[in-house]
Amino acid sequence: MSLRVEQSLSQLLHEAFVSLRTLGKRSILALLGIVIGSSSVVALINIGHNAAEDAAMIFKDMGTDTLVAQFPPKGNSTVPMPTSLDLQAVRQAVPGIAHIGAISSFSGPVVFHGRTTNAGLIGSTPGLKDAMRLALREGRFLSEFDSGETYAVVGDQIAQALSMPGDPLRLGDRVRVNDYLFLIIGILQNQPRSMLIPVQTNESLFIPAAGMRRIYSSPQVGSVVLRATPGQDMERIASDATKAMSAQLMDHTVEIQIPQQMIDGMTRQSRTFAYLLLALGAISLVGGGVGVMNVMLMNVSERRREIGIRMALGARQRDIRNLFLLEAVTLTAVGALCGAVMGMGAAYLYAWLSGWQFSLAVSALPLGVGSTLLVGLFFGIYPAISASRLQPVEALRDE
Amino acid sequence: MMTDTPTLPGFISLQGIGKSYQLAGQHLAILNDVNLSIARGESCGILGASGSGKSTLLNILGLLDLPDCGAYRFAGHDIFNATPDQLAAIRNQQIGFVFQSFNLLPRLSALDNVALPLSYRGVSRQESVARALHMLEQVGLAERAHHRPADLSGGQRQRVAIARALVGAPAVILADEPTGNLDSHTAQDIMDLLLALNHEQGVTLIIVTHDPHIAERLNRQILVRNGVVHEAQCV
Repeated sequence: MSLRVEQSLSQLLHEAFVSLRTLGKRSILALLGIVIGSSSVVALINIGHNAAEDAAMIFKDMGTDTLVAQFPPKGNSTVPMPTSLDLQAVRQAVPGIAHIGAISSFSGPVVFHGRTTNAGLIGSTPGLKDAMRLALREGRFLSEFDSGETYAVVGDQIAQALSMPGDPLRLGDRVRVNDYLFLIIGILQNQPRSMLIPVQTNESLFIPAAGMRRIYSSPQVGSVVLRATPGQDMERIASDATKAMSAQLMDHTVEIQIPQQMIDGMTRQSRTFAYLLLALGAISLVGGGVGVMNVMLMNVSERRREIGIRMALGARQRDIRNLFLLEAVTLTAVGALCGAVMGMGAAYLYAWLSGWQFSLAVSALPLGVGSTLLVGLFFGIYPAISASRLQPVEALRDE
Repeated sequence: MMTDTPTLPGFISLQGIGKSYQLAGQHLAILNDVNLSIARGESCGILGASGSGKSTLLNILGLLDLPDCGAYRFAGHDIFNATPDQLAAIRNQQIGFVFQSFNLLPRLSALDNVALPLSYRGVSRQESVARALHMLEQVGLAERAHHRPADLSGGQRQRVAIARALVGAPAVILADEPTGNLDSHTAQDIMDLLLALNHEQGVTLIIVTHDPHIAERLNRQILVRNGVVHEAQCV
């Protein structure tokens, strides 16, 4: 007669199935806590992942070889910025600059065939096209020789806003800004939004910087966009360019942000955010775990007689422990699966509402489901062990 | 394991067994110096008034409770030196219990109730269900296999309980007032079934009862009175 036998897997599966089938209302309430905890862990990990991915996308389009200089005034100075900067001098002073362009912007109405739309009016220098990686759908960008002309290059959204079916805005058309007519010489492709550059390209009308005075009495250089040749030390270029531009400015400082630093800052920020969200999910999971423990303790005290019968039929202490542990884990497994589905749904909804692209975080499902099962195991152990410690005769006596 | 204690006669042998409880600070002796030996294949009735200690004796015989003193050997195993796991295995493989209140698990079907003891022996689900179904056929309840205990009559429930006690082919059936909750006609059927098992399959039968008519049908009658056991050799 062998005294050591383990229950077969098929029997354990059957026990788990029976315990699922006979879930009471109380179990379902405990399940709710688990579902909330598990779904929030899954959703939060995925939302954090999608947010990070979205941020990374912006920089992928923008490239980390781009620098933007801005010019806050020194102290309380109210002296306006000059109308133009000597970009050629900057270019010569700083080796490694591939393209450089200045921006002076303000906004106003643009009229075409009686249709009006508001646009950013960007006084640009010719180098801006390559510095900002602008791509043209039709025509060409402003050149060195256009500085005296009333030419304009139009952004994608503005072009659409000014077009009508049967009357599209085309090259050679003229749009009116204040009292001047500008000839459209180029239409831009739709450009991705950029974190770095303070210009909404798609909602802008690019006109020669030299001609800005036609429509605005005192145009100022707002920012300068630089693009480095490949393989340059961005920090060196930033500090050299700061020096070179500071030499031309009396009352303004030069501030250049390096994209890599921004990316690092954003990653750090999103990581902190993710930890915070994760802690939130963990707290709700622990709450759910306490619910499971409560249900299991009630379960054990209600089923003392069953425990006694099972012991009389030959269940060992560890069989009783496994029985209740299995029930706790089955309960949390159901919660974890519901939570995974709901969490994914919530993450998808959040991505959709934020206009992000939804992608599955590799770690979200294993981490969410795994941590939920661990919680079930942890909070199931105490009730299961207390059940297994019952003496058969005491358990049987219980009515 | 066979020779580590002095050999006691019989398949089941108790010597000098005592059991007492602490109840509300009072020392209550339930059994005093019980000496009892039961051979394989015997049928015994344990008789006594309520409170006489006969249920405690049955619990000790069935390894559900441990005595305070004495020596107890069951099928060659020294019960005092057995671990809880060994006791569970002996219960599982050698003893079939039949209770007065049936003690079926309400959540499980009749079939799963009968199959339950086999699950604690490492038998696979498929095989244990097949054997349980065969056992239900023997007690005439094959067509009720998938009913829950609540959907069965008292007599049917006790048949399911007997099938559960027998499914593991035990050496002993311990029955605690097996007909106590049944009408006289059904009680007759259940007793016939238990006695048939004793006669035809040689299963040792130990029945706790207060009904002398039941006790008359068994080989031996053991009287428990105030914690002391007397052999009543009648018939």
